[in-house]
Amino acid sequence: MERTQGPQVGEARIVVPATAAPGSVIYVKALITHPMHTGLFRDATGAPIAAWFIREVVVGYGGEEVARFEWTSGISRDPFVTFPLRATRTAPLTITWTDNKGASWTQTAQVTVG
Amino acid sequence: MANGQVFDGRGGSRRDFLRAAAGAAGALLVGAEALRAAPAPDPWGEELPERVREVLRARFGERTVRPGRVQLDVPENAPDGRSVPVFVETSLPLVSTDYVKAIHVVVDHNPDIYLAGFHFSAALGAASVDTRIKMRRTSYVRAIAETSRGELWGAATKVFVTLNGCG
Repeated sequence: MERTQGPQVGEARIVVPATAAPGSVIYVKALITHPMHTGLFRDATGAPIAAWFIREVVVGYGGEEVARFEWTSGISRDPFVTFPLRATRTAPLTITWTDNKGASWTQTAQVTVG
Repeated sequence: MANGQVFDGRGGSRRDFLRAAAGAAGALLVGAEALRAAPAPDPWGEELPERVREVLRARFGERTVRPGRVQLDVPENAPDGRSVPVFVETSLPLVSTDYVKAIHVVVDHNPDIYLAGFHFSAALGAASVDTRIKMRRTSYVRAIAETSRGELWGAATKVFVTLNGCG
């Protein structure tokens, strides 16, 4: 059963500290709404629910790729991840999530150094 | 004086009693020592199933995973297999010539044994990852840190799962 209320698939949030000391390591929290179906469950009528999950996450900082996550449907629903980042300059942090159906969503947060 | 004799304050001295008690305590300690000496199961040895070895071989070739240098923080009991918190960090060096290139998460008894790979660059300045995973049943969760020099370091914890989160 897909959700009809609340956040829709693909709604994403990135949380970074308001400001970071130059060269310090900050922790970035990223959350996206996605069902992450394994393809192994059935719905209430017994019909199989097709696999539908985020398979790749690309993290860019100031236009440069700094990390890439390779996921399977073993990541929980509404995937949440925290990872480090060295804040060397004030620049946008961009995260793009791509699912196995080819849909992708991008969210940006500003990393402010000072 | 033999063990088991009644200490009535006449037949045996306080010293005898203490000596006998110390002997009994010593025997208990020896028993505990023998238990502890039984080798703990090695998660990277006999506790590494063949199909997991195949997954690791397909990804890492003949490179072997050495235990250590990686801290894996997972609950030992996970009532809900749909959401098991996993935190991995490393005590490996992080300089531009030698850094953690990736953290891999492997779960022995999941439909997808290779669960996720978090590929990092030296620009991150640290190597850790915090996320939530699904688990089908009680199984080892393994975290493997791959360095830019190709070394593999691992940590494994057995997580007891009650509710199947994978289908």
